[in-house]
Amino acid sequence: MNYMPGTASLIEDIDKKHLVLLRDGRTLIGYLRSIDQFANLVLHQTVERIHVGKKYGDIPRGIFVVRGENVVLLGEIDLEKESDTPLQQVSIEEILEEQRVEQQTKQEAERLKVQALKERGLSIPRADTLDEY
Amino acid sequence: MDCSEGPGKPCGHQIPEKASRIHEEEDTKEEEEEEEEKEENELGDPAVLSAIHGAQRGHKGSPRLKAPSGLGISPVSLHFLCQTMDYLSPISFRSTFPSASSPARHFGPQLPSPDPSLFYSPPASWPPRFSHRTQLHPQHQRILQKQQQEQQSGQTPDPRVGKLWSQKPDPYAGLMNQREKDWVIKVQMVQLQSENPELDDYYYQEYYQKLERKQADEELFGRRGRMESPKLVTPYIQKAEDYESVVRIEGSLGQVAVSTCFGPRRAIDAVSHGSQEQDSAIYNQKLQVLYRIEKMFLQLLKLEENQKGMLAKPYFYELQRKQLEKIYQALRTGDQDNSEEAANGFLQVLSVRKGKVLVARLLLLLPQDQAVHLVLSITSHLPFLIRRDTADQALCMLFKPMGKCINLLAFSELLQGLQGLMVLQPGSQERPITVVLQNQFGISLLYSLLSHGEQLVSLNCSLKQHSSSDLAAWTDMVVLIAWEISHMSTASLAEPLVVPSNLLSLFCRYVDKQIVHQLEARM
Repeated sequence: MNYMPGTASLIEDIDKKHLVLLRDGRTLIGYLRSIDQFANLVLHQTVERIHVGKKYGDIPRGIFVVRGENVVLLGEIDLEKESDTPLQQVSIEEILEEQRVEQQTKQEAERLKVQALKERGLSIPRADTLDEY
Repeated sequence: MDCSEGPGKPCGHQIPEKASRIHEEEDTKEEEEEEEEKEENELGDPAVLSAIHGAQRGHKGSPRLKAPSGLGISPVSLHFLCQTMDYLSPISFRSTFPSASSPARHFGPQLPSPDPSLFYSPPASWPPRFSHRTQLHPQHQRILQKQQQEQQSGQTPDPRVGKLWSQKPDPYAGLMNQREKDWVIKVQMVQLQSENPELDDYYYQEYYQKLERKQADEELFGRRGRMESPKLVTPYIQKAEDYESVVRIEGSLGQVAVSTCFGPRRAIDAVSHGSQEQDSAIYNQKLQVLYRIEKMFLQLLKLEENQKGMLAKPYFYELQRKQLEKIYQALRTGDQDNSEEAANGFLQVLSVRKGKVLVARLLLLLPQDQAVHLVLSITSHLPFLIRRDTADQALCMLFKPMGKCINLLAFSELLQGLQGLMVLQPGSQERPITVVLQNQFGISLLYSLLSHGEQLVSLNCSLKQHSSSDLAAWTDMVVLIAWEISHMSTASLAEPLVVPSNLLSLFCRYVDKQIVHQLEARM
């Protein structure tokens, strides 16, 4: 029952399993236990899910308290459809390894690009040196 | 209300009181009130308090959901129902069920035999009130009420909740109790309160008013059975305290860059301080015009707001008339007394896009004689305005209000307007009419003037109300205009916004066939 129709409220989402995407790119999955007016979240039995390609790995994290401003989006997970995914779950070590490899290739590509631009006398500022907004 | 307060400090008495009702199972009324008083008086740590309550009454969590379904309602929907009902009608609940022990408290596992009327007919004191300080639009309340009724009568439990229920009961559920949920919602609702909902919450108000209007229309066509009486939208109750988080300086446009010791910056001002000396620099003049427009616009907005809100009470009408007069004078004279310069001031206002918007909206509110005055000023200076409008192309917004005014013009005034178009301006070779015909606004205005003249003449022809000189002037005008139109190439003629139907017949009467033929081609 939405007490304020036409508005968004997290009250109905309490005690349900959610997927939360944070601003730093992390994906958390957990049971939403508590909220407040800033949309700060308390996640229970949280798992950090790392995706690389078609594989993913879950790292159990316990209880998370997330500051509301760091949440990009969150959505309820349908428990019946949760397992119905083409993605393949792998162990934590494997996924971390995959992630490392992916980061490496990305960095390498970036380095080449920057070098090529430098040779042409152009310089594009790197995203991490820019302001956040 | 400070948003950073924790839920342990209840702001109103109703919500914490009735919320704790849900938690109790066996306590008597006296004990309940005692406990609540203790809660409110001590204002201790909410976590400690809730822990104490929990310890005193045993685990709340799941037992609530396991209530025996004596009524044939699943415990989940029962829980849902009592949550919603209790939440939405705190005060009314207490008043309509004064019988010894409040039935709400028996929603727990006991459930002897709750009053069936509770579920199947809502208490008489709907619409629901969230707190003594918030107030929803009546339409909004009606919608909520209907939803409530549908839920109760339909008895459809939430399918998602149903699914969850089929699994093992979640031992960690209910960490956030109802009181805390209510608190969050209350905080969010408090942010919606305002002293001027029409201004602060314009889209919400507009939407529900539109909905109401639509339903009223449907009622008229007999599609709806029930008649829902239209209610006045009451304003929200005033906030307790009000603090200005932003520094505002009088006379500035919006927020001003305040200089502090950490950031010395000049304050930006849109007002020129040299107004006393009548500085003739063009830049200052432009600023002055803009400033005048802003002032008049603010007055106009206030006037329109009053008109929308107020019923036609004589006192307010008088007040409005005075305010309108003020704006009109500001528009006409500005700082000068000379009528020539006054017209100049008016034209300067019209040269700015916002000034056109101002005049368009003002024309709808002004009394007839003042509106006519403005319209005639515009028609006599059309070429000038057209020239100044090439950048904005905004003259057309004046067409509709001017059209309304034109339809009320007297014949002599109409002639005056038309003559203004034909007079050869000093310093230019061509007549104004050529410029006018090439501009969309100009040609539309001309057509509407002619159409109205035709109406007046044909209506009063038999009565001979107009003097012969007037009629002669009118005939000359029509012939001249027809001549001008026919001799202008079709390419350079502008596309009018509206082509009145009686124009051709008008021209047919006064002008010979050849020219009529050419006119037909162009119109």
